[in-house]
Order: sequence, then C-alpha cells, then structure tokens
Amino acid sequence: MNILLYIVIMIFGAFLGNRKLIPKVLMKKIDTIQFLCLLLLLFIMGVSIGLDEEVIQSFGTIGVQGIIFALSSIVFSIIGVRLIASKVLLKGGEER
Amino acid sequence: MSITILVTVALGILSGIFIFPETMADSMGFWISFGLALLLFFVGIDIGSHRGILGKIRRIGFKVFLVPLMVALGSILGTTLAGILMGMSPVESAAVGAGFGWYSLSAIELSKHSAYLGTLAFVTNISREIIALVSIPFIAKYIGKLEAIAPAGATAMDTVLPVISRSTNAHIAIISFITGVVLSSMVPVLVPLIMLFS
Repeated sequence: MNILLYIVIMIFGAFLGNRKLIPKVLMKKIDTIQFLCLLLLLFIMGVSIGLDEEVIQSFGTIGVQGIIFALSSIVFSIIGVRLIASKVLLKGGEER
Repeated sequence: MSITILVTVALGILSGIFIFPETMADSMGFWISFGLALLLFFVGIDIGSHRGILGKIRRIGFKVFLVPLMVALGSILGTTLAGILMGMSPVESAAVGAGFGWYSLSAIELSKHSAYLGTLAFVTNISREIIALVSIPFIAKYIGKLEAIAPAGATAMDTVLPVISRSTNAHIAIISFITGVVLSSMVPVLVPLIMLFS
C-alpha cells in the first residue's frame, strides 16, 4: 500500500517541478535538500536496525554468508546490465 | 558522499543500540515511511524540472524492461553460484537472491520455511542495500551510469533512488524508478515460486 503513496507523492513533486511552481531559491538547493533528506532517512534506518537485538545478533552469526551473497548478486547484476546497456541508452551518448 | 552515507548509517545503528529506548522500535516503521515520502517528493521535483525526459523514455520503449530483467537474472545467478560454492542448496540460495534487496518482504516470506533462511534473506538483502548505497557513486563514475542501477535491485525505486539520481542524471533516475517498481512487484511472486522447487 505504501508503494502507491510513494508514487503519488513523487508524481506530485514531478508536477510541481515541471510547472516551475517551486521557488528558484529552493530549486538551486534541491540537490543539497535531497541529500539531507537521504541522510535523515539512513539515520532512521540505522536506528531501526540498532533497536532490533535479533538483527544485531544474526549479523554476528551469518553476516559473512549474507555479505558474500549480496556481493555476488551485485556483481552479476552489474554484468547483466552491462550486456544490455548499449541497447537501452539512446545514441549520442549524452547519458553516459 | 559514500563515506557520509556509511557514517550516517553507522551512527544510526550505534544510537539505536546505545541511545534510543527500545520502546521506539514500534514507531520506526512510521518514521521510515515519513523519511522516504519526504525524499521521494524532492526526487520527483528534480525529475519533473528536467523537461523532455518522458519523451526520451518513451523513445527507449519496452527495451527499458531489459534493465530489471538483467538485474533479476544477475541477482539470482549470483546467489545461486555463491550458494553452491558454500555448499548450500541452490534452490534456497536462488530464493534469497530473488529478494532483490527488499529485505523485509523476502525475510518474512522465507522465514515461513526456516528461521535460518529468513535470517539469511534479511542479512543478505540489507547488506545489498547498504553496499548499493556506498558503491553506486563509484560504479556510476568508473563502470557506467546505467550499471549504477544494478546494485540497488528493488530499492532502485525508493531508498537508493536519491543516490542514483545524484550520481547519474534525471534520465537514469527514471529508468531506475521503473526498474525498482518492476523488481519490487516480482519479489512477492518469485520468492515463493522458487521455493516450490525445494
């Protein structure tokens, strides 16, 4: 259900940005504001991990296994995307 | 950027362990949603202010779905191979990989089979999210902008999206969002489906 809320909020933001309804002063700092929001979110996520004793303990027991799994999926995902990158990105190369 | 991210997560974990009272655990879900909503609002403004992006995406057409497809295949292949090397069941390993970084859902789904598998799914997918947050700026710089979406998996539409949008451009950010949405909708179907073969 949350996913729907997130999509609506993002489309609302995109609408405001597209119609230039956001004051210029704010637009200039949008990168910084975004980054600060991200740090706030990551801090909250960290707190919720830290509050959960079970999670902290499980990291001790199967942490290494999990990290190997995570790294392996990441590496193969990157290789996979690399294989199709030239098909998806438009010619002209301005996106790369 | 990567170091700031890592330090912030670490500070959060430490203050969760040592500072905040355990009674706060119940309200954390709300605060995470709140932070995420705020963040996505600003990401939306950023994407919307770049006119002409939707037209570009439309020109890519259905090929845009190759990205989530390759991330899905890569993720599952990655954990399956790692699992075989570590002497684990290939099917269970594949199911953990099909969490695509969505740790809460994959963990809940797999703990139905065993607490061990649920915990492994949790640790794997939360590690994936943290590694993605830290590594994406480097991947965007040294490997490629489209490849920067790959580590994020399902989180390419929410928590990791701002890092991708900051490290690449508004065009890649939209592809990232689409990738995240497709992968997120695959998790609840694929994880139980793969476990049928165990």
